[in-house]
Amino acid sequence: MGAEGTGPNVAASNGHLVVLDKVTKSFGATTVLTEIDLAVSKGEAIVVAGPSGSGKSTMLRCINALETIDSGEIFFDGKAISAAGKGIYRLRAEIGMVFQQFNLFPHKSVLQNITLGPTEIRELSRKDAEDRARKLLERVGIPEKADAYPVDLSGGQQQRVAIARALAMEPKLMLFDEPTSALDPEMIREVLDVMRDLARSGMTMIVVTHEMGFAREVCDRLVFIDEGAIVEQGPPEEFFKSAQSERARDFVDKIIHH
Amino acid sequence: MQLWQVLIDNFPRFRDGFLVTCQLVGVSFVIALGVGLVIAGLRVQPLRSLKWVGAVYVEFFRNIPLLVLLFISFAGLRRAGINIGAFAAGTGALGLYTAAYVAETVRSGVFAVGRGQVEASLSIGFTYPQTLRRVVLPQAVRTVIPPLGNITIAMIKNSAIIGAVLAIAQDILKEARLINARTFQTNEVFFWAAIGYLILTVTATVAVRYLERRLVIRR
Repeated sequence: MGAEGTGPNVAASNGHLVVLDKVTKSFGATTVLTEIDLAVSKGEAIVVAGPSGSGKSTMLRCINALETIDSGEIFFDGKAISAAGKGIYRLRAEIGMVFQQFNLFPHKSVLQNITLGPTEIRELSRKDAEDRARKLLERVGIPEKADAYPVDLSGGQQQRVAIARALAMEPKLMLFDEPTSALDPEMIREVLDVMRDLARSGMTMIVVTHEMGFAREVCDRLVFIDEGAIVEQGPPEEFFKSAQSERARDFVDKIIHH
Repeated sequence: MQLWQVLIDNFPRFRDGFLVTCQLVGVSFVIALGVGLVIAGLRVQPLRSLKWVGAVYVEFFRNIPLLVLLFISFAGLRRAGINIGAFAAGTGALGLYTAAYVAETVRSGVFAVGRGQVEASLSIGFTYPQTLRRVVLPQAVRTVIPPLGNITIAMIKNSAIIGAVLAIAQDILKEARLINARTFQTNEVFFWAAIGYLILTVTATVAVRYLERRLVIRR
């Protein structure tokens, strides 16, 4: 931590919170990501879109090292992920992640789900952690569910608890991996509302989603990925109106006018 | 009522035997659960060499008859100059033997915990050992409470072998044989011995049901 602000990594990340530098990743013989370059500034909300199997989830999972990359480098807050070694655990605590399948801990109550990280890793007192958890539950709109168990909640409520659990670590970056894809249509709104408020509060976010309404309304930049490469990126309005590449226009056609 | 008379006449011996069996079972259970969890932990952590240690343990203790383990732990060790006493030898052998089954059961429970749980835990910032201890093992153990109950009941019954082999442990079975040798009321004596074991196994069954209701994860 003492080296923060010095060294070659910072030069490479150039003031961005997240930088992907020629990131390549394969599963066996299949190349999933090919020389991905992406820089995300503090406070930016980015939507990553693309056909299924295009590598968007894999890219997200590489950023917090749930997947290891084959070549290239990923910088988070000026530090190279691959050079983190055991420090990767510390780094992950700075990066919140929300999964498609929620992945709440079923043996713990909502409150315990949210306080586990802060008490164990941030060494907050139980009382402080619970205060923080209740505030977060307030923020995601379900303060009355503190003592419920995940099984008692709807999908939308579970996902909001998952967001609260990630926020409880006070992360610098939030990753969302298709957060609404497993939800019934009537619950998608409540989760997107929470995410929109989060983006407006200045949280840096990278969101993999098919919710183009959300992209249009909330994100600063849309990144379109196909076959493991970034095909184009820019403000969402521009992307929807006048995508440059044929593949992107094709995608817009399918997803907007289906 | 000859049946009751046998119990009344020999009650102190039956009671003492019952209490010894309780001790054998209690100590063996603690060993089985403690060692079993550690071995299960070895088998699911990523390091090859430690995985191998866990696998060797399970195959050794699971594939040797309990009776042979008891001979080794008592007579064998004593002949090698290590005299740990009958109680330690008996509970040690039964506990370590049962631990192999506990380890295999907990391991299957660990694999029943989804990859998503591990990823959620890692993404909060937990290390692998913390993830195992705080997220995976608690869920795994809850999932395998019913089969652990079966193992416990088998262990209670297996404890009779200690009394049969290690002449020093005065458990239910040993006392029953002594009473039988004096009274020749074989049917009555072993009826009460069986009741002694039933009290323990039924108690274990009830305890497992209770734990199941309290702890098993609703999904």
